[in-house]
Amino acid sequence: MNERIGKMRNIGISAHIDSGKTTLTERILFYCEKIHAIHEVRGKDGVGATMDSMELERERGITIASAATNVTWKDHMINIIDTPGHVDFTIEVERALRVLDGAILVLDSVGGVQSQTLTVDRQLNRYNVPFIAFVNKCDRTGANPLRVKEQLIEKLNHNAVMMQLPIGLEDRFEGVVDLVSMKAIYFDGMAGETLRYEEIPAEMVDEAKKHHELLIDAASMFSDELAEAFLEGEVSEDLLNQAIREGTLQRQLLPVFIGSAYKNRGVQPLLDGVTRFLPDPSQLQYTALDLDNNEAPVPLKADPEAPAVALAFKLEEGVYGQLTYMRIYQGSLKKGLEIYNTRSKKRVKIGRLIRMHASTMSDINEAGAGDIVAIFGIDCASGDTFVGSGLNYSMTSMYVPNPVITLAIKPKDKSSEGNLSKALNRFTKEDPTFRSFVDPESNETIIQGMGELHLDVYIERMRREYKADVETGMPQVAFREAISARADFDYTHKKQTGGSGQFGRVAGYIEPLEDPEKNYEFVDAIKGGVIPNEYISSCDKGFRAGLEKGALIGFPVIGVRAVINDGSTHPVDSSDMAFQQAALGAFRSAYQKAKPEILEPIMKVTVEGPTEYQGSMFGSLNQRRGVILASSEDGAFSIVEAEVPLSEMFGYSTVLRSLTQGKAEFTMEFLKYGRVPQSVAEELKKKYQEERAKEAAK
Amino acid sequence: MIKSELVKRSPLRILEKSIHGELGAGNIGVIASRKGVGKTACLVHIATDKLFQGKHVIHVSFAGRTDHIIGWYEDIFREISNRRNLDDAMDVHDELIKNRVVMNFSQEGIDADQLLKSIRAMIVDGQFAADLIIVDGYDFEKGQPESLKKIRVFAEDLGISVWFSASTHRDDPETNEDGVPLMLVPFIESIDVLISLTPTDHHIRLNLIKDHELYTKEDLHLTLDSKTLLIVEE
Repeated sequence: MNERIGKMRNIGISAHIDSGKTTLTERILFYCEKIHAIHEVRGKDGVGATMDSMELERERGITIASAATNVTWKDHMINIIDTPGHVDFTIEVERALRVLDGAILVLDSVGGVQSQTLTVDRQLNRYNVPFIAFVNKCDRTGANPLRVKEQLIEKLNHNAVMMQLPIGLEDRFEGVVDLVSMKAIYFDGMAGETLRYEEIPAEMVDEAKKHHELLIDAASMFSDELAEAFLEGEVSEDLLNQAIREGTLQRQLLPVFIGSAYKNRGVQPLLDGVTRFLPDPSQLQYTALDLDNNEAPVPLKADPEAPAVALAFKLEEGVYGQLTYMRIYQGSLKKGLEIYNTRSKKRVKIGRLIRMHASTMSDINEAGAGDIVAIFGIDCASGDTFVGSGLNYSMTSMYVPNPVITLAIKPKDKSSEGNLSKALNRFTKEDPTFRSFVDPESNETIIQGMGELHLDVYIERMRREYKADVETGMPQVAFREAISARADFDYTHKKQTGGSGQFGRVAGYIEPLEDPEKNYEFVDAIKGGVIPNEYISSCDKGFRAGLEKGALIGFPVIGVRAVINDGSTHPVDSSDMAFQQAALGAFRSAYQKAKPEILEPIMKVTVEGPTEYQGSMFGSLNQRRGVILASSEDGAFSIVEAEVPLSEMFGYSTVLRSLTQGKAEFTMEFLKYGRVPQSVAEELKKKYQEERAKEAAK
Repeated sequence: MIKSELVKRSPLRILEKSIHGELGAGNIGVIASRKGVGKTACLVHIATDKLFQGKHVIHVSFAGRTDHIIGWYEDIFREISNRRNLDDAMDVHDELIKNRVVMNFSQEGIDADQLLKSIRAMIVDGQFAADLIIVDGYDFEKGQPESLKKIRVFAEDLGISVWFSASTHRDDPETNEDGVPLMLVPFIESIDVLISLTPTDHHIRLNLIKDHELYTKEDLHLTLDSKTLLIVEE
């Protein structure tokens, strides 16, 4: 089993749009399937497989359609995980990145390090993912892989080294010189499937030697043995590969491969690079959070015999119902095994365990730590953790941030209506930061999420995947209300005028919570049973009802601790309802005294672009009530970090594009809730009062 | 303690007394010492003191990542507010942050023109009305006296005071007869206030070397607290 895990790779392919990520993925699947097929066929009857061009075309048509595709390259098993590159800072990206052990960063040989490369690079850095680079499209006019390597050093600060040199470029791009084995590699056959090894072309020998030494020089930082061998003039391929692997795993060395996926050049050596230099799951330390111990981190063992810990990272609607993709971090999953969902606290039995290949899927009986599998027929949400007996771990914090933006949507026609509810059901399961509900006042369907882009992606998916066309309203910022001071209450709810009466008295105080991100805390400090136990939860309910709508602008109230320490009851007239009403009344009476404020979501905004547009970048943030925290200038390129209220960020992408001729771009993520300035608060309050007056008039 | 009281009682008032008022708009101050003695902490303390007074500060750095520098500010703020038991510390903190911006330049040997262009963009386009610029990590060894002159002219134009740090050689502590480290002699014309940090047996002492027109070797009776690196009275 341990030998098996050593030959396992879970990788993602990350790229700027149009760098040829899809083509490269297709080629990888093609070569792996084909090599695999050849092995299979030869094993059975000793006859090599031949293909006509039709079959070839059909085979080429395979695209990565699943969240994790399993391929075999030589004797290694590789799971290719689909990483959505376009959406930054969403849970989906985060999950995909979490289940990777390594990645291929694809770059365009002409465009080099582009804006999105920076985003992808940042994501890989954030999750400490070791990766190798592939400079694609070396057949394009203007291709210059060495310049791209320089950019990786200058712009991304990576210790990039060439693993190969191109033999010819642009339309004369024929093959590569492998700087480890010091051989020329040509790609023959209809689809470049046959590798032909030759001596390095005479005119390239000097340059190849130079780069070979550069490579050894860089790699010897990670191996004393290699350094010694180099001095003695006896560097073996194995020794060099080991040192490169060490550097890559430490993320201190970035091996750069080159090729053209479209022209079938360079893909197989890249796959060798994946198996040689990227880590197997046992080489990385993963941790889970112990839910029985205040979410304390616990290290996991990539040991198939230990109790199982697996993360459901992606759901797909399949022909046979929900297909759940899982990454196993510890232990094993077996067909028929009972596992426990630590979020929903439900036990489920594994019915069918599946491995997804490029064009087929196969049933398996068992899969061990490090592996990625799919399971049919279990009901769960994306991000759920499943464990074996005796554990109560979670792979992700249970903390889900409050949504910051709200959008009303309406189906355009009858058929969209039914599809919409299906889509919403699915999306809310997949992504806890995406929420939907029907507003009881306006009867509109409301969706909520972490930003304009986040909701845009889902609107697009409704249309594309569920054929649900919707009209959208104006996006609204999800304001919050909060108190800023302690206020006491002593409130009696009394209705004793005929019929069965109501009586409840509660006393205590409300105060702001130290951690404003926490919504609410209820403290029962009643002594001597002046409020009987059965009514304590009624008080809690009453406060919760009060928090739903603040008195300032009707938005939810957050960050409140409600403490009850006194009260009284009536032997006949006290009831659950009476105490709920009493607590609600108490909250409302204390709320105004507790200096309530309006809060708005503040986003952490990062703008990146050429230094020549720095002034526009600063100015545009300043105009949006932004606080510029820092700017980093690296030659011709600048990054500005700022905190900006979300309400000011609508339409910013268009503005930024026009200010900088499309050369700057930005990302944002939710940071915190912050107080709105007095002038804005007054405006919001006035608007709310007007709306209420209008409704009352109706 | 309330904020204004905290400002009044700051040990930096002693420094100001010695140099006959603040550094002043259009003036350049330099804190010199060998590496690792506490220049950054000193500069951040000076900047934080200004922020407490409601002034705006740009912090220019060359090597560090911006989050490291922000970390320095957080630490110094925490030390000051704990020591003086500052009222409404969190609110004060949130106010201060708005008036501080960090600008990091990672290019090797950036020239004064590019530096000033970026700072000007922050002040003019970003509408950040800076009162003080902190320049930490400027390489005086590679820099030209001409560059410092340009920075001075810029500071005069916009009415800003500028504090620099200067790293002197560990193995070359030599000074001229006025006590100016040899490395800074070519620049001294543009420097209005020069303070050196000198490690002694138990403390790091602040000595005033140049006070506008005057060369003194005055002991300021200020030291750096060995634990917090705050400037404290002796």
